[in-house]
Amino acid sequence: MTAPLLAVLMAVQFDSVPKPRTVMAIGQVALINTFVNRVDAWVFKQDWARSGTRVWGEHLRLGWEWDEDAFTTNMFAHPYHGGLYFNAARANGIGFFQAVPYAIMGSWTWEYFGEKYRPSLNDWYMTSFGGITLGEVFHRITATIRDNRATGRGRTLRELAALPMDPIGSLNRLVRGQWRARGANPPEHDPGSYVLRIGAGARFAKGLIADSGAARMGAMLVDLLYGDPFTTEYRSPFDQFGVRLMLSSNGGFSSLRASGRIYGTNLNNPARTARHVLAVNTRYDFFKNRAQSVGGQSVEIGINSRWPIGSRGYAFRTSLFVDGILLGAIDASGTGLGTRTYDFGPGGGARWEFAVDRHGARFVRVFGQWEYIHAVSGASADHIVDFSGIEANIPIGRGFGIAAHSTVFHRISRYSTAPKDERNYPEARLLLTWTKAGFKP
Amino acid sequence: MDQSRVQALRRTICGIALTVLLTAPAWAQRRDRPHRSGLWAELGAGPGRVRIACSGCTDVVVASAPSSYFRIGGTVSDRVLIGVEVFSSLDRAFGFSRGDTTTTAETATATVVVLWFPSRRGFFFKGGVGLAAGQFTVPGTAGVDTSNGGGIGLTFGFGWDFAISRKFAITTNLAAHVTAVGDVVLPGQRIDDVIATMYQGSIGFSFR
Repeated sequence: MTAPLLAVLMAVQFDSVPKPRTVMAIGQVALINTFVNRVDAWVFKQDWARSGTRVWGEHLRLGWEWDEDAFTTNMFAHPYHGGLYFNAARANGIGFFQAVPYAIMGSWTWEYFGEKYRPSLNDWYMTSFGGITLGEVFHRITATIRDNRATGRGRTLRELAALPMDPIGSLNRLVRGQWRARGANPPEHDPGSYVLRIGAGARFAKGLIADSGAARMGAMLVDLLYGDPFTTEYRSPFDQFGVRLMLSSNGGFSSLRASGRIYGTNLNNPARTARHVLAVNTRYDFFKNRAQSVGGQSVEIGINSRWPIGSRGYAFRTSLFVDGILLGAIDASGTGLGTRTYDFGPGGGARWEFAVDRHGARFVRVFGQWEYIHAVSGASADHIVDFSGIEANIPIGRGFGIAAHSTVFHRISRYSTAPKDERNYPEARLLLTWTKAGFKP
Repeated sequence: MDQSRVQALRRTICGIALTVLLTAPAWAQRRDRPHRSGLWAELGAGPGRVRIACSGCTDVVVASAPSSYFRIGGTVSDRVLIGVEVFSSLDRAFGFSRGDTTTTAETATATVVVLWFPSRRGFFFKGGVGLAAGQFTVPGTAGVDTSNGGGIGLTFGFGWDFAISRKFAITTNLAAHVTAVGDVVLPGQRIDDVIATMYQGSIGFSFR
C-alpha cells in the first residue's frame, strides 16, 4: 500500500509530465535569439549581429533571399539551432505538434531581426523543418540518457551527457532543481524495443580524396533504433525513429541521418505472424565529405513489413518508402551561388530495404535510395542521386561483432548551361561493432 | 386568482422552463460544434501584392495582382484541419525593374496546409508547405517569349470563418505565399534565383 502511494506522490511532486508552460516557452525562444545575437555582437564582435530597427525595416521591405553559407552551417548548424527552439517548447511540457510553430517562428524572428543579413529562405526551411526532426530526436535520446531515479555522480554524468544534445532542456532542469530531484521518468525514457550499435574501424573510399585511387581512413559509426515499427504501436510522434551518425578521420563529421515516425497504423491484424505497417516519417539527411555533399529535409510515406523465421526471433524485414524533399541541397562544384558551391531545391524519391534481423538487430541489410533534386537556387540544374549498398554484421559474442559494409554513391547532374556531370563513389567499411538491444514484443 | 388562470400560468412557466432546458444544450452544442467537420472545401479570391526578389538584385519589385485560391481537406480533430491548397496570382502589368510593365507574371503554389482553430470561435491560423510554379511572359518579335520555373512554395496566415448556416460559411483570409521558382530567362535578361512573395487578402466561401 505504502509503495504505490509513495510512487504516486513522487510522480505528482516531480511533475514528470508537466503542464504546458506556453509563456515560458515563448520567452525562452526569444531569449535564445537575444542571447545568440548579443554574444555574437559583444563577445565575438561580429558585425552581422549588430541589427537594429533600421535593419529590421529593411528586411521587412526586401524579404527573402538565398544565402551563401557553408554546407555544414546551413545543413547541420541551422537544424541544430532549430532544435533549440523546438526543445524550448518540449522542455516546457508542450506536445510535438504544438511545438512545431515554436521552431518555425523562432527561426522567422531570427532571420528578420537577429542578423544584418537579409532573411534567408533556406535558413528558414532548414532551421524549422530540420529543427523539428533533430529536436525531437535529441529530446527523446536525452530522455533515455537522463534517469530521474539515479543518484550521485552517475546522475550528474547522465545530465552532463545530455547537455550537448538538449541544452535548453538541461538548463530548464537545472533551474528547476531536476538535476538532483528524484522522481518518475517521463514516458520517453523507455523506448520499449531498441537497438544501439557502435562500430569503429577502417573506411576505404575511391575518389574521395583524390580523383583516382582508393583512400583509407578511420571511421566510427553509431546506429540507434528507438522503438520498433512492429512492437511499438503508434501513440505519439517519434515513438519510433532511427539515427545513424558517422565520423571519419578524414573530414570529421561525415554523415547524420534521422528518420522518425509521425504517424503509423497497422495494415493487417497485429496478431498475425507476418506484419505490415504504414508509416509517415519526417527525415533529416546530412552527408558531407570531400567528394560529395548532400542533405535535406523530407517527408516520406511507406510500408514496413516483417516475416518471422522460426521461433528464435529471426525475421525478414522489408521497407518501401516514397518521399518528398521539402528542401534539399547538393554540391554543384563550379556553379552554386556566389561563394556557395552547392544548389538548393525541392525534389522527391524512393528508398527500399531488405534485412534479416533477430529481435530488431539487423545482421544483413541490402538497401537502395533514389532521389531527384530540382535546383531553384544555384545552377539551373536537375540532380539525381542514387545510393545503395549491402551491410553485414557477424556476431562474435558478448555483444561484439564484425561489420562489413559496401556502398556506392552515384550521381548525375544535368545543367542547362554546362555538360552533364556523372560520378561514382564506391566505399567499403570494416568495423568492430558492439550491439546492445532490448526487444519487447 | 381564478384556478384555471393559475393552471394556465403554471403550464406557461413549465413550458418556458422546458423549452429553455431543451434548447440550452442544443444552443450550447451549436456554439461548441467544430467549425468544420468531415470533408470541407473553400474557394475564394481577393487582391494581392507580389514582391519579387532575386539573387544579386539590390532592390525588389512590388506590384499588385488579383489572386484566387481553392482549399479542400478533412479534419484531424475539432481544432485541426488538414488539406491541400492551390493558390494562384496573375499580374498582367508586371516588370522586373521599375517602370517596366511589359511582363505578365503568373505564380502559383500547391501546398499541404494545416488550419488550426485555437478556440471555438471562427479564428484560425494557417500554415503549409509544398510546390510552386511561375510563368513569366513578355511580348517578343514572334509572339511571346515565356519562361517557366518550378520550385518550393510555402504559405502562412490567418483567417476567420463567419458561419452562415450549418453547412456554409464566409471565410476571410490574410495570407502570405512564398514561391521560389529558380532562374527566369527572358530575352535580354536573366534573373537568378527568383523568390516571389505574395500577400493576399481574400474572401472565400466555405462548404463544411
